[in-house]
Amino acid sequence: MSSADLLNDLTVRPHPDDALCLQAVTAGYGSQPVFDRLSLQLQCGRIVGVLGPNGAGKTTLLRLVLGLLAPVSGTVAVLGRELRNDADRAWARLRIGYVPQIQSPTALPITVADSVLLGRWGRSFRFLKRPSREDREVVHETLALVGIAELAERDLATLSGGQRQRAALARALVRRPRLLLMDEPTTYLDREAQRELVHLIERLHQRLHITTLVVTHGLEAGWRFDRTVRLSGGGLDD
Amino acid sequence: MTEALELLSIPVIRHAFLGMLIAGATLSTLGVVIVSLHLMALRFTLMHVGLLGAAAGMSLGFSATAGAFVLVPTASVLMGTLGQRFRFTASSMTGFFMTGSLAGAFLLLARAGVPAMDVFGIFAGNILMLTRVDVVMVGVLGAVVVLAFVVGYREIQAVLLDRDLALALGVPVEAVIAGMFLLLGAAVAIALRLVGALLVDAIILLPGIAALRFARGFGSALLLSSLFGTIACVGGFVVALQFDLPIGASAAAVSSGLLGVSALVTRGKGRS
Repeated sequence: MSSADLLNDLTVRPHPDDALCLQAVTAGYGSQPVFDRLSLQLQCGRIVGVLGPNGAGKTTLLRLVLGLLAPVSGTVAVLGRELRNDADRAWARLRIGYVPQIQSPTALPITVADSVLLGRWGRSFRFLKRPSREDREVVHETLALVGIAELAERDLATLSGGQRQRAALARALVRRPRLLLMDEPTTYLDREAQRELVHLIERLHQRLHITTLVVTHGLEAGWRFDRTVRLSGGGLDD
Repeated sequence: MTEALELLSIPVIRHAFLGMLIAGATLSTLGVVIVSLHLMALRFTLMHVGLLGAAAGMSLGFSATAGAFVLVPTASVLMGTLGQRFRFTASSMTGFFMTGSLAGAFLLLARAGVPAMDVFGIFAGNILMLTRVDVVMVGVLGAVVVLAFVVGYREIQAVLLDRDLALALGVPVEAVIAGMFLLLGAAVAIALRLVGALLVDAIILLPGIAALRFARGFGSALLLSSLFGTIACVGGFVVALQFDLPIGASAAAVSSGLLGVSALVTRGKGRS
């Protein structure tokens, strides 16, 4: 697979449905709601920032969209499909790329290429169906797209924070996502690495038009979102 | 060499050798999972539960291995379920099971009047009593462990890398972890029979720790763990026969020595 093929493959075509639609969602952990009748609509192709302090529910919002947390009431729809049951949630997860918060290195040794390959799980391989040569080609091209092709065989734990986030971004992209969720991608990075990562994400968004939802503490890293919403007190302000 | 082959023609020695060889080559790979999932406390608890199982087996007139084989995997699954249901932290659960198991084991052994030498066998292992059925059990478990890593390689890798990420990808995280707990429980029960409760780590843990100091990927960690486990178990077996020493303790000594050497070779670079 060439770089041009990959870009063509990743580019999202215009879609009439909202990428994301939350209607009067109440959700939380135990008896304590984090959101109370929260509503949010996200048009396809936008890059949107969700701002808020610690505990405002930014990660909870992502868990709702990923189907890892069920709302107490209200509805969550991804790409026009309401998440009612496990089949809906599995369908949505195949179309979502997720970049988690930066993690401290794990005890598990894993090459950068192998960690990115995991992003194809469920998409092109799973139990009893192993990754193909095409999967590995996609990984290689995507690593080149995010600028770390030369690090493919390095142990993930030996990478800098910025490089690890690029690998996480590549892992989300190899899924060919229609919706990209990023959980505080620039936290713990130094200023230079923050700026480089934000620039890369914005450049990829302009090229690929993947609807992107970024949750972050603030705009210090130089984000320029199409839309910014602020989470606070269980609600949301545009 | 001829002398060694002659020794292997004796069923007791052959069973012991095969048991150690298979366990070293296969069960040792679980050490990579223990370290990566931070299950040190869990495996220590399972060793105690194994004691209870062995004590129950002996008290009720069954074999110690059968008791441990039933109780350890059951406890490993129960701990996860009860921890979630009663909102116990992992440390609280391990503390509860560890102390309760040890108390239960001593009470059972005292009540049933089990001879002191048999009790010593639970702690230090009694590999020369290994039967053909025992060897088959080790073989079956070893095959299941290898099969689990072959079939679920990417799924296990995803869970060990980042559980939240694995969930977001749709990997059945709970099933993978329950499977690993079950295998770990069964492996502890088997290792208990081979080297005793006090030396289970020689097979289950130390080769994995040594492997993680060298490995650059998950696959190489598993292969190195298997290699180190084989060297520890077979090496310990040979040393024991050569110098007329206990086999379990000799394997544990070789395993510890391997880890010591690997720590020296990789100092400043190791991750485990």
